[in-house]
Amino acid sequence: MASLFKDPSKLSAYRDRRFPGTQEEYEAALQASTTVYIGNMSFYTTEEQAYELFSRAGEIKKIIMGLDKNSKTPCGFCFVLYYSREDAEDAVKYIGGTMLDDRPIRVDFDWGFEEGRQWGRGRSGGGYGKMVQKELEAQRELVDYGGAFQPNAPPPYERGERKSGYGDSYRNDRGDYQRKRYRNDDRSAAEGSRRAPDSDQAEKNPRFREKGDSDEEDDDYDKRRRR
Amino acid sequence: MSAGWRTLLLRIGDRCPEYGGSADHKEHIETCYGVLSREYEHSREAIFELKYLEVLTEIFFLPKQFLLECAEQLPHKIPFFGVLVGLINLENEDFAKDIVDTTQAKLQDALHSENRDRIRILLRFLSGLMCSKVVVPNSIVETFETLLSSAATILDEETGNPSWQPRADFYVYCILASLPWGGPELFEQVPDEFERVLVGIQSYISIRRHFDDIAFSVFETDEGHSPNKKDFMEDLWERIQILSRSGWKVKSVPKPHLPFEAQLVAGKSHRLSPISCPPPNLSQTNSEILKGQEKHEADLKYPQRLRRLHIFPTNQAEDSRKECAFYLVSLPVSFRYEYLMAETIFSQLLLLPNPPFRPIYYTLVIIDLCKALPGAFPSVVVGAVHALFDRISNMDMECRTRLILWFSHHLSNFQFIWPWQEWSYVKDLPRWAPQRVFVQEVLEREIRLSYFEKIKQSIEDAAELEELLPPKAGPNFKFLSDESTENTDGHKLSKELVGMVRGKKNVRDIILWVEEHVIPTNGAEFALDVVSQTLLDIGSKSFTHLITVLERYGQIISKLCPNEEMQLLLMDEVGAYWKNSTQMTAIAIDRMMGYRLISNLAIVKWVFSPANVEQFHVSDRPWEILRNAVSKTYNRISDLRKEIQSLKKGLQVAKEVSAKATKELEEAKSVLEIVEGQPAPAERPGRLRRLQAYADKAKKEEVTTEESLEAKGALLARALEESKELLKLLFKRFVDVLTERLPAVSADGEIPNLRAGYQNVNFAAQDLETATMEIDNENGADKNSEPNGQNTKNDYNVGELEQWCLCTLGYLKSFSRQYATEIWSQIAMLDEEVFVGDIHPLIRKAAFSGLCRFTNEGSQL
Repeated sequence: MASLFKDPSKLSAYRDRRFPGTQEEYEAALQASTTVYIGNMSFYTTEEQAYELFSRAGEIKKIIMGLDKNSKTPCGFCFVLYYSREDAEDAVKYIGGTMLDDRPIRVDFDWGFEEGRQWGRGRSGGGYGKMVQKELEAQRELVDYGGAFQPNAPPPYERGERKSGYGDSYRNDRGDYQRKRYRNDDRSAAEGSRRAPDSDQAEKNPRFREKGDSDEEDDDYDKRRRR
Repeated sequence: MSAGWRTLLLRIGDRCPEYGGSADHKEHIETCYGVLSREYEHSREAIFELKYLEVLTEIFFLPKQFLLECAEQLPHKIPFFGVLVGLINLENEDFAKDIVDTTQAKLQDALHSENRDRIRILLRFLSGLMCSKVVVPNSIVETFETLLSSAATILDEETGNPSWQPRADFYVYCILASLPWGGPELFEQVPDEFERVLVGIQSYISIRRHFDDIAFSVFETDEGHSPNKKDFMEDLWERIQILSRSGWKVKSVPKPHLPFEAQLVAGKSHRLSPISCPPPNLSQTNSEILKGQEKHEADLKYPQRLRRLHIFPTNQAEDSRKECAFYLVSLPVSFRYEYLMAETIFSQLLLLPNPPFRPIYYTLVIIDLCKALPGAFPSVVVGAVHALFDRISNMDMECRTRLILWFSHHLSNFQFIWPWQEWSYVKDLPRWAPQRVFVQEVLEREIRLSYFEKIKQSIEDAAELEELLPPKAGPNFKFLSDESTENTDGHKLSKELVGMVRGKKNVRDIILWVEEHVIPTNGAEFALDVVSQTLLDIGSKSFTHLITVLERYGQIISKLCPNEEMQLLLMDEVGAYWKNSTQMTAIAIDRMMGYRLISNLAIVKWVFSPANVEQFHVSDRPWEILRNAVSKTYNRISDLRKEIQSLKKGLQVAKEVSAKATKELEEAKSVLEIVEGQPAPAERPGRLRRLQAYADKAKKEEVTTEESLEAKGALLARALEESKELLKLLFKRFVDVLTERLPAVSADGEIPNLRAGYQNVNFAAQDLETATMEIDNENGADKNSEPNGQNTKNDYNVGELEQWCLCTLGYLKSFSRQYATEIWSQIAMLDEEVFVGDIHPLIRKAAFSGLCRFTNEGSQL
């Protein structure tokens, strides 16, 4: 029945301006990609929650959490990288529009993660919605991706060395994306600052993002679309 | 205008705005036909306006294609499409004949390409066309007879191959399935011929072998072996006979042709060219093993159908699922069918060995239906869950897992609202009671999708169930710095290691530090304790933190765990660090296998180590880890096969490119001219150089591709070898732990009945102690404190040891079924090394029924 009702424009509804190629190349990248973009997530949703949901569509290679550039905390979107195209397709077809952490999430194909794309670019903590379940949410903690050990910082040794000694790995081919050197300027500020649930977040409190809010401001997809 | 007829075709039979909200099917057909023929008239005029070609395509090609597509993809509307073709047939015989011929060709094609759904639906469409006088009834009878005779041939030892009975069954099933749609007309118009078909089916049913489908049944009966139960074909045949005795009245099949009968009889009925079935797959062998493999292949290709009607098109329900939900709630039938719908959806979700779609798809279908029918469907889902919950102790383990995953996901889409109080009694059941384990695992999965406090709140009304919640997830770091313990060696070394990681020390330096400062004084096991705990702690913040630590510092662990013994210890460390999080334990072990820090064999050994074996019947934790390891192994193999496939294609291309470039170069070189009486190259040196470079590059490309193909081939060979070892170890371990614990076969050969129940409880407790398992005392105490046993109706009376055996046998069956194809390819090795000697009959039964294998005695277990 799909073919009788198909919406042919679906694949290319979003055009990432940062994609370094033509429209055709962009579409080809989307057609072949094993990466999906997940939007409209709660700031509190952890990678493990996403893992539990998205691993039901297939084995996951990586998850890259979208982060607020300043606070180094999640800002409502992430990328999930699968090993196989079919799994990515199933994730888009079957998980898009369903609820994660009480929010209807968006799942789209993505042309592939590149270093730098994890940083959210919008006004963080956009929605100022109703405060349903505030007490419960208050018990949750944002994962701080800053601190002394940062997954996004470069490895302290050369790449070749890292590869040696492992041999053939089980579906874990590292190096599907290579991290460029990235050092954030304010590491010392972020260091060790596992945020206490109720401190200094009055202005940009992600807790105010509640069920049903839209975070159109937050994720870089929507930003792109408006240009 | 052209959009008009399309929409009308799609929406025919629906109560919808396109048809002015009317539910009168006759009106629908008249409207749709009116628009179609106006379109046709209009374009006949247009023919004179030089748009000849386009119009011809539009009129003769598009509607025909579209109609056929509609019939295939909206099969529940076939009677309507049949009437439309019948009406067109009155005006335009060629159009109708073309439809008949194309359908015949498609059917022929589907039979040879073994496209089961298509075969079934096209037969139904032909029946629909016959009802509307487009196809001669005798053509339908002939088609049935061709299928029947092919089916009978397959069953014949001499001319066919009884291993392929599933294919024969399928052909007969297709005939039976189309009878509700065309039976009455056949009975009226060609009674003798029709009777002949029914007699043929009767004789087929009498010679076919009963299919004992215990491998694929969702619920296990007490004995598992029930010779009196009707299989799918027998059941369907009986229903069809009832139908024939009652004059073929089926209210689920619309009969829109009846009001048009007077018109339709004037049409010319077309003959169907005869169809042919592919020849039977002849047996290549007399060996039992190879016959078993053949039968398994046939079972997979022509799986048994469920006891359900195929009235709606979930098969096609892909990205336009909203449309599908719409169709599901507006079928053109006159009775309420939510229950039938739920039954079908749950049957598919629990279908063994595999559901038609990935299980997660059904969450979506059920959500959509709940939204489309908010008044009716949610309560049907609640009813279905309760019905399944009541029978959970007999449910196949694989199905139970699917149900847990679906249910937790479903609830996460509905704010985790569920009447938990109705199930609160399970906390008084023994901790191995399947209902209790089910609730506990659903809560565990809910928490993974959400968070602890939220789920705790969701069971507020059934606070008794709080004791079934897993501990609040969080790391359990052995070397956590606090004042009292800070001075142990472990704490000091751990701190030192953290310092080195923070200070971006080189991995080599850290390895040196471990080898020179930790191992000599404290030993390798202690070093592993400190290193693994500390690294796990550094990577504890998120999944990404974990894999980053493993990528950067995995080598240190790898150095410390060169053998399986150390890898087992490493898994103990993971289990201890993440003792409060099953998910993180599973993820960490899975990733460590990914980086080859742990082998799949080590994982199997660890899962079958005493501490985990004790958990087999009370938690899904060890099974999740085992499932991950096995599926990762086979995922890897399937990845490699795909890569090799594409490399082979690439090599072909590279070879062609290289040959062409070389040829071009040679040709250019061979063009000579006579310079000063001597032959000399005529081509410009620049072009030659360029061609040479192309040829070199192409050759290099070819060689590189060849090399990577070879490398992948070697990896595949290694992976296959590893998977063989994995299967051997997996089955050995199953046999070992089960042999240790299964109650013996009695002296007169009676196989123990594990579900016998209460009278065995005391026995079980005694056996249990000898089998090193202890009844949970706390739980026993709780149970006694319950006021005068008011929950007796819900007592679970299978003893702990029996439940452990049932559960482990269930997983053994589930693993053999899921990996049956791989196991069949290693069956000779397994027969030689694992299924030898005095294997307990229950073990053999579980493993072999998963494989649908016959035992030596020739009867299927």
